[in-house]
Amino acid sequence: MRTATRTRTRTWVVGALILGALGFLLARGLGDATVYFKTADEAVAQRASLGTRRFRIEGTVVAGTVHQVGDDVRFVIENKGATVAVRHRGDPPELFRPGIPVVLEGRFMARPGRRGGDGAAEFESDRIMVKHTEDYRAKHPDRVSGTSQ
Amino acid sequence: MTRVLGIVTAALLAVTAVMALVVSPPDAVQGDAVRLLYVHVPTAWVAMYLSFGVTSLASALWLWPRTRRRSWDLLAGASAEIGVVFIALTLAVGSIWGRATWGVWWTWDARLTTTAVLLVLYLGYLALRRVPADPDTRARRSAIAALLAFVDVPIVHQSVVWWRTLHQQASVLEENRLLHPTIHGSMLWTLLIGLTAFTLLYFWLLVHRFRLARVEDEAEDRRLELALAERRAEADVVPA
Repeated sequence: MRTATRTRTRTWVVGALILGALGFLLARGLGDATVYFKTADEAVAQRASLGTRRFRIEGTVVAGTVHQVGDDVRFVIENKGATVAVRHRGDPPELFRPGIPVVLEGRFMARPGRRGGDGAAEFESDRIMVKHTEDYRAKHPDRVSGTSQ
Repeated sequence: MTRVLGIVTAALLAVTAVMALVVSPPDAVQGDAVRLLYVHVPTAWVAMYLSFGVTSLASALWLWPRTRRRSWDLLAGASAEIGVVFIALTLAVGSIWGRATWGVWWTWDARLTTTAVLLVLYLGYLALRRVPADPDTRARRSAIAALLAFVDVPIVHQSVVWWRTLHQQASVLEENRLLHPTIHGSMLWTLLIGLTAFTLLYFWLLVHRFRLARVEDEAEDRRLELALAERRAEADVVPA
């Protein structure tokens, strides 16, 4: 009776360990497949295969490129030297500004971009998400004693 | 003793509120939205590491025959309930913070998705605890489920390292960050006080929830004994 209970407990424990390990591996394995965004340089490199498919792209907003055209906001994002011209429909989020990293949802436009002249990639975005870092710094450093920068 | 803990907790939470809302400065990029950090990080800490950690530990102690005591099972359940409340709070506050900084309430990145999975897993655990069974069967089932659900905790923790996410990387609980924090000055202090306050709050809630669980457990036992006694009495009255 007692050994029977023991064996059953052991089976359960082993089962649990196996399932746990499986979940762990599955999550790690899936990791390679789940790419939340492509960086601007990757997207430019994969331009042909991406076509007009919808995906997320990441890059830093280049200073001096942001301007409003009608309802659109146009700007350029940059990552590892590669630049992508962006046309965004709608209002960008509050924290959107030059020099900030952003993740955009949208697609490359079918025809080659008119800007840049060299057929630079143009991205049509309908959602801007501002990606902020884990750095937190006071806006007015003088308000904080001992953290003059 | 519990009362002292309660008073200290309330006082520290008040200090956290003052530090977070008045003393600490607005962030250079985020402005006042950064103040949500002082709630978001502590609730995540309480839910994922404290609550679910204690649930796992208590479950393991129940499963180990030498340390098997009914109290471990009750403690595991009590801790998981607090964890579910705090993980839901983490998601809610995170969502509001996300709207203020990222510009969206929700996005399916790895950190957010695995955290949502964590909430569902522990809701499932609490549901399993309610499935009628004799106490030992229920405790065994629950303990195994708790250990399985905990697998998601390190996945959530590492999600920002393993995958590309919109969510930022760990600010505090990371080897290099502990010694060279990326949170500056009084912002870091506010966060540390907040973490302490919420940790005490967790223990205060746990003590009360655990006591209640024990009373419930005893009441259940007594009801069972009463029912048995009644049956016996009936059997005595009605001759077979």
